[in-house]
Amino acid sequence: MIMKNIVLRSLLLSLAGLAVTSAVTFAQEAAGVPPQVNRLAEQNLRAYWHVFAAYALVILMIGGWVISIARRLRAIEDRGVE
Amino acid sequence: MTTAGMRRGGIVLTVLGLAGLIALYWMCFFWVSTEVNQGVVQRIFYVHVPAAWTSFLAIGFAALASGMYLWLRDDRLDRAALCAIEGGLVFATLVLTTGPLWGKIAWGTYWTWEPRLTLTLLLWFIFVGYIMVRNSTEDPDKGKRFAAVVAIIGAMDIPFIHLSVVWFRSLHPEPVVAKPDGPTLPGDMLVTLLFGVLVFSLLFFGLFLFRYAVEALRAEADLRSRSTA
Amino acid sequence: MNTYLTQVWAILRKDLVLEIRSRERIGAMCAFAVLTGVLFNFSIDTTTVRPNEVATGLIWMTLIFGGLLGVGRTFHLESQDGALQGILMSPAPKDAIFLGKLIANFVLLYVVSLLVLGVFGLFFGIDLDRNLGWVVFVLGIGSLGFVAVGTLFAAVAAGTHLRETLLPVLVFPLMVPMVIYGVGAMTPLVSGRPFTEVEGNVRMLGAFALAAVAAGAVLFRYVVED
Repeated sequence: MIMKNIVLRSLLLSLAGLAVTSAVTFAQEAAGVPPQVNRLAEQNLRAYWHVFAAYALVILMIGGWVISIARRLRAIEDRGVE
Repeated sequence: MTTAGMRRGGIVLTVLGLAGLIALYWMCFFWVSTEVNQGVVQRIFYVHVPAAWTSFLAIGFAALASGMYLWLRDDRLDRAALCAIEGGLVFATLVLTTGPLWGKIAWGTYWTWEPRLTLTLLLWFIFVGYIMVRNSTEDPDKGKRFAAVVAIIGAMDIPFIHLSVVWFRSLHPEPVVAKPDGPTLPGDMLVTLLFGVLVFSLLFFGLFLFRYAVEALRAEADLRSRSTA
Repeated sequence: MNTYLTQVWAILRKDLVLEIRSRERIGAMCAFAVLTGVLFNFSIDTTTVRPNEVATGLIWMTLIFGGLLGVGRTFHLESQDGALQGILMSPAPKDAIFLGKLIANFVLLYVVSLLVLGVFGLFFGIDLDRNLGWVVFVLGIGSLGFVAVGTLFAAVAAGTHLRETLLPVLVFPLMVPMVIYGVGAMTPLVSGRPFTEVEGNVRMLGAFALAAVAAGAVLFRYVVED
C-alpha cells in the first residue's frame, strides 16, 4: 500500500515537473528566447573547427613558401652543375 | 653580406621563427585566457593581426627598395623588393583566409566590405599586379623598372584606400593595441599578440633573406650562362 | 618655364589634332558609354531598385570602363613605327611629355564623361537641374585622377607583352578611393543636397588627383627610359 503510494506520488511529481518545464520552454519559445544551451555548444564546436583551420592555413602557407623557395634553389643548383 | 652568409642567416632566422610559431601555437592553445564575448574563435586574432602587420611591412619595405632602385639602379635593391612582395603576398593571403574564418563566427558572414579587409584585398591585388608586370616583359630591366613603379604607386595609394574604405563603412573591431590612451587588451592576450608579431616578423625576415639569397644565386647563374654562351 | 609649357602644349596639340582628325578613340568611347547605359538599363530590375538611386554609381563605373578603353590606347599610335622613340628623343623633358599626354587624355575623358552624364541623366531620370555645376566639377576632378593613374599605367602596359589586358589589374585596385569619394560626392549632389555636405569628399578626390598627377610626372621617366 505504502509502496503503491510512493510510486503514484513520484509519477505525479514527475508529470508535474514535465508539465512545468515544457510550459517554461513553450513560454520561452513564445517569447522568442532561444534555447540557450544547445546553440552555445554548437557555436563553440564550430568555432574550434574555424580556429584549427586558420592555424593549419598559417602552417600550410608558410610551409608552401619554404618549399617553393627550396625547389627554386635546387633548380638553380642543378643548372650550375650542368 | 655574402650570398652564403645571407642564406645561413635566413635559415637561422627561419628556424627561430618556426620554433617561435610552435611556441605561439602552444600559447594560443594552452596559455592565453579565452575572450569573454567571442569565445575560442578570438584566438584566430593571434595569427591574423601579425600576418596583417607583416604584409603591410612588406609593401612599405618593397616601395622603399623600389624607390631606391629607381634612383641607384642597384639590382640588389630590386631583388629585395621582389622578395618582400612575394612574402607580402603569402602573408596577405593568410590575412584574407583567416579573417573570413573568424568573421563567419563573429559577424555571421565570411565576407563583408569592412575597411581593413577591403584594404588587404586591394593590397593583395597590388602584390599580384607587381608580379604580373614583372613577368610580362621581354627585357628583364624593363620589367624591374615597371614593377618598381607599381610598388611605389601602390604604396602611395594605400593611405587613400584606407581613408576611403573607412569612410565607406566600418564593422571591424576597433584597434586594441595602437591607441593614444594605451592598449585595452588584457595582459596575457597582449603578450601573446606581441609575441605573434615578433614570430611573424622573424619568419618574414628569415624567409626574405633565404629567398633573397636564392634570387642572387639565380642572377649569378644567369650571368654565368650568358657569359659562356 | 615658358619653354616647358610650349613643350607640353606641343604634345597636347599633336594628340588632340590627331584625335579630332581620326576620331578613333572618342568615337569608340562614346559608343561604349551610351551602349553601356542601354545595357545597364536592362540589368536593373526596376521593381526592386529605383534606377535614379544607383545611376551615379553607374556613371562612375562607365567612366572607368570607358576611360580604360581610351586611355589604354594612349601609346598605341606611337608604339608603331618607333614614333615613341622619336618623341622621347626630342628635347622635351619626360614629365612634359607625360603632362601633355595626360591633358589630352583628360580632355577626351571629360568630354565622354559629360556625354555619359547627359545620357544617363536621360536614361535613368536623374534630376540634373540641381547642382549641375558642382556635378560637372566633381566629374572633372574624378576624370583627372583616373587619367593620371591610367596614363602612367598605359605606358607600363604598352611595354609589356600583355598590353591592354594588364591595365585593369593594375588600375582597378588603385581606383577604389576615386569611386568611393566620387560616388559619395555625386549621389547627395544630384539629390539636391548642398555642396558643403560633400566638400570633404571632393577635397579627398582632389588630393587623390593631385597626388596621382605628381607621382605620374615623377615616375613616367622611369617607365619610358631605355
